[in-house]
Amino acid sequence: MENLKTNAEITWCPGCGNFGIFTALRNAIPKLEAKGIKRKDIVITAGIGCHAKIFDYLNLSGLYGLHGRNSSNAEGMKIANPDLKIITFSGDGNGLGEGLAHTIFAAKRNQDITMILHNNSVYALTTGQYSPLTEKGWKGPSTPRGSIETPFNAISLMLEVGATFIARTFAGEITHLTDIIVQAIEHKGFSFIEVLQPAVPYHSWNEYREKVEFLEKLPETYEEAMKTAKNKHKDTLGIFYKTQRPVYHEGLYGNHNPLTKRLSRNDRITKIKQILFG
Amino acid sequence: MVHDVFTFLVGGKAGEGVKKAGSVAAHIFSSLGRQVFQMDDYMSLIRGGHNFSVVSTSSRRITSQYMKANLVVNFDKRSCDAHINDVTKGGIVIFNSDEQENADGIGIPLSSEAEKYPMKKLMYGVGAVAILSSTIGMSKDQMDQNIKNQYPRGIEDNIKFAGTIYEIVKAECQNKYPLERGENERPIMTGNDAISLGAIAGGLDTYYGYPMTPASSILHFLAKQANNFGLAVIHAESELAVINMAIGSAFTGARSMVGTSGGGFALMTEGISLAGITETPILCVLSMRPGPATGVPTYTEQADLNFALSAGHGDFLRIIASPGTVEEAYYLTSEMLNLVWKFQTPGILLTEKHLSESSMTIDLNIDDAKWAEPKMHNGGNYKRYLDTDDGISPMLFPPSKEIIKWNSYEHDEIGITTESADMIAKMHNKRNKKLNALIEHLKTQNTVNIIQGEHPTNIITYGSTYMSVLEALKYGGLNPTIVQPIYLSPLPVWELEKFKNQDNIVIEQSITGQFASLLREKAGLNIRSVIKRYDGRPFDPIELSIKIKEELE
Repeated sequence: MENLKTNAEITWCPGCGNFGIFTALRNAIPKLEAKGIKRKDIVITAGIGCHAKIFDYLNLSGLYGLHGRNSSNAEGMKIANPDLKIITFSGDGNGLGEGLAHTIFAAKRNQDITMILHNNSVYALTTGQYSPLTEKGWKGPSTPRGSIETPFNAISLMLEVGATFIARTFAGEITHLTDIIVQAIEHKGFSFIEVLQPAVPYHSWNEYREKVEFLEKLPETYEEAMKTAKNKHKDTLGIFYKTQRPVYHEGLYGNHNPLTKRLSRNDRITKIKQILFG
Repeated sequence: MVHDVFTFLVGGKAGEGVKKAGSVAAHIFSSLGRQVFQMDDYMSLIRGGHNFSVVSTSSRRITSQYMKANLVVNFDKRSCDAHINDVTKGGIVIFNSDEQENADGIGIPLSSEAEKYPMKKLMYGVGAVAILSSTIGMSKDQMDQNIKNQYPRGIEDNIKFAGTIYEIVKAECQNKYPLERGENERPIMTGNDAISLGAIAGGLDTYYGYPMTPASSILHFLAKQANNFGLAVIHAESELAVINMAIGSAFTGARSMVGTSGGGFALMTEGISLAGITETPILCVLSMRPGPATGVPTYTEQADLNFALSAGHGDFLRIIASPGTVEEAYYLTSEMLNLVWKFQTPGILLTEKHLSESSMTIDLNIDDAKWAEPKMHNGGNYKRYLDTDDGISPMLFPPSKEIIKWNSYEHDEIGITTESADMIAKMHNKRNKKLNALIEHLKTQNTVNIIQGEHPTNIITYGSTYMSVLEALKYGGLNPTIVQPIYLSPLPVWELEKFKNQDNIVIEQSITGQFASLLREKAGLNIRSVIKRYDGRPFDPIELSIKIKEELE
C-alpha cells in the first residue's frame, strides 16, 4: 500500500473526506492485482479541484487534465489502447458542471472506464460556491442569498444516460468504498461511483454519519433501480444498478487495438497506393 | 479559349447532382491524360439554393479554376442569372427551356425529359455530362462508358437520358471544343483527401472530429478508411471532447489528429494549451472559412492566421504550417505529425476551404511521406519531464513498471504539481529550449518555396492562395519571384532575410492583411502593397493577373 504513495506533499485539509478515498484506492489496487489485473495496466486521469489532488499522491501513471475534461482524456486512452484499465477521478462540480456533457457521453457510449466522483457538494478549492449537487438554499460567496437551483440526482442521471454500473458509497465507510471500487474496475463498461466525502470547512463528518443508510439489496431491474434512486434519500449507499451491454471500443473495432496492432509504414504506403492507383 | 485552358461550369439547385457532374467532368478530363482543377461553390443548405461546380482543364499543370467558362450548363433561371458573365467570348451557354423561355444561349427541355424517369431532377447532372461529352467531341459509346462507371445507380435510365440530351445538343455543340490529349492519367484528389492520406502515411492511429465545414470531409474520409488502416476514427460530442480525447490517446503513444474550422478551433484552444504544458504531441487541422463566428460556412478565407499563432493561453511552442498545394498537403501533414512527436508540442496545419474542398489532378510520390517517431526512454528511472540540452524529454508509454505522469499544472521533472518559483522557471526554460531545437531542425528542411523570376518585384503568399497566384502569373505571362513560406510559426526568417530590402507584394485572403503584418513584424520585410480578397471566394486567375500587372508596372 505504501508504494502506491508518491513523495508529494499532501495539501488536503486535515480530516478531509478525500483521505478516505485515497486509502480505499490504495486498498483496492492490491485486491485487483490478486484478481489478475496488472498494476502497470492501470492508468488514471483527473480533472481540477480538491478531488484531483489524488493524482499527485497516487503512484500510478496518468494524465492530470483540465477542469471537466478528465473523462474525455480517459475515453481517448481506452480507445487508443483498450488493454489499459482507466480510472478517472472527478469532483461534483468538475464532472457534473464543467464536464457534464463528457460524463454523460462516456456513460452513453458505455466506455469501459471507471469514474469516481468525489461528491463534497461544494466547490471547495475555489472557496465554497454551490455545485451541481449542492442542496437548495446553500449560501456561498456566489449565492449570498442562498442557491435557488435544485441539485441533480447523480444516480438517476447516470441511470438515464446509460451507465452500466452505478453505486454510491461514503468516504467514512472504507471497507464498503474499497469493495465498490474493486467491483467497478472489474466491471466491463462504464462504472460510476458517487463517493460522499465531507469537505470539512463546509460540512462535518457527523452530518453524513447521521444520515447514511445502506440499500438492502441490489435492485433487479432498470425500473426498480430508477425507483430506488429517486425514492431513497441522497445518502443511501450501495450498488443501484449493474448490467451488461456492448462496450464502445468493441463496437468500434471489435478485438482490434489501434496501438498494439498498428500497421507498419510499408503496409500503409502499399494500401494508399492501392486507393490511388488501383 | 482562355489560352490553353478549357473550363466547364455547371450550376443548379442542391440535390440536382451539380457537384457530381463537376467531378465526373474532372474524371473525363483526367482520363484524357489532362490536368484538372475543380472548385465547388455551394450554399449552407441541403436542398434548393444555388450551387455550382467549375472545372478547368489543361494539358499542362493547372492550379486554379477559371471563372470564364467555355461551356456553361444552367439547370435553372437562378443559375442563368448568376453566371451571365461567366462565359468566354464565343462560349456555349445552355439553359433549361422548361424553366425560362428567353435567355441567351441554347435552350433544352431538361426538366420535361428528366420527368420521364423515376429519378427526375437527380438526373440533371447526367444531362450536363452528356452536353459536355458532345462539346468536347466524345463519341456516344465513350460517353455511355463514362456514365456507366460514374453513375452506378439506374444505369439504363441514365444512359437513355444522356443519349437523348446528347442528340438534342449535337447540332450546336458537337466537337466545338475538341480537347487535346495529355501525357498520362493522374488521380484526382481534394486537399482534405491529401491531408487524410498524409496523416495515415505519417503514422496516424486515432482521429477525432466534430462535424464542421470545411474540415468534415477529413472525418468522413478517415471514418471510411478506418477498418482498412486499423484506425480509430471518432465523431465526439464537441470540439472540447475531441481535443481532450486526442490528448488522452496521445498519452498512450497513439499518433492523434483532430480537425475543425474557426469556431470549433476556438473551443479546442484550452486543449491546445493543455498540450503545451503536458508536452503532448497533437496535430490539429484548422481549415479556415470566413468568420467571425459562424461567418460563411461553405466559403473560403485566410483570417484565422493570427488566432492560430496565439491559440491557447500561456507561453508554449506552437508549430504552424500551411500547404500551398494539394500535393504539399500530403507531404506536410506527415511532416507535421513527425514534428509534433519529435518536439512534443501542439501543431496546427493551417489551410482553407479552397484547398480542403477543391480537387485537382496530382503528381504524388507516396513514399516521400515522413514517419512520426518520438525520442524514446531507454531504461533506468523514468522522469517524464527530464530537463535535457534541447528541452526534449524522452517518452515512455503505458503499460510500464515506471510511473509516467503528464500534468496540466506546472510540475517537476517527474510530473508532480509544483508551485516552487525555481521549478516554474526551470520548466519554462526547459520547454522554451525546444524552440531553438526546432529552428535548428527546420534550417535543414524546405520551409519556404521560392520560384525565382526575372521581374525585380517579389510576390509573397501562403496557403491555397499560392495556387491562385501561380495560375494568375501563368495566365498573365508575368514573372516576378514567388515566395511561399510553408512554415508560419516559427516563421523561417533565415530564408526570408534576403528579401528584406527588396520590393515585395503580398497576396492573401484577409481584410486586415494578417499575413503581411506577420512578415513585417517577424521578418522585417518591406511590403509595398497587399492584394486582398475577402468576399469568401477564391481569387480568379484572370482578375488576379490584372491586379498583379498593375502592381508590377
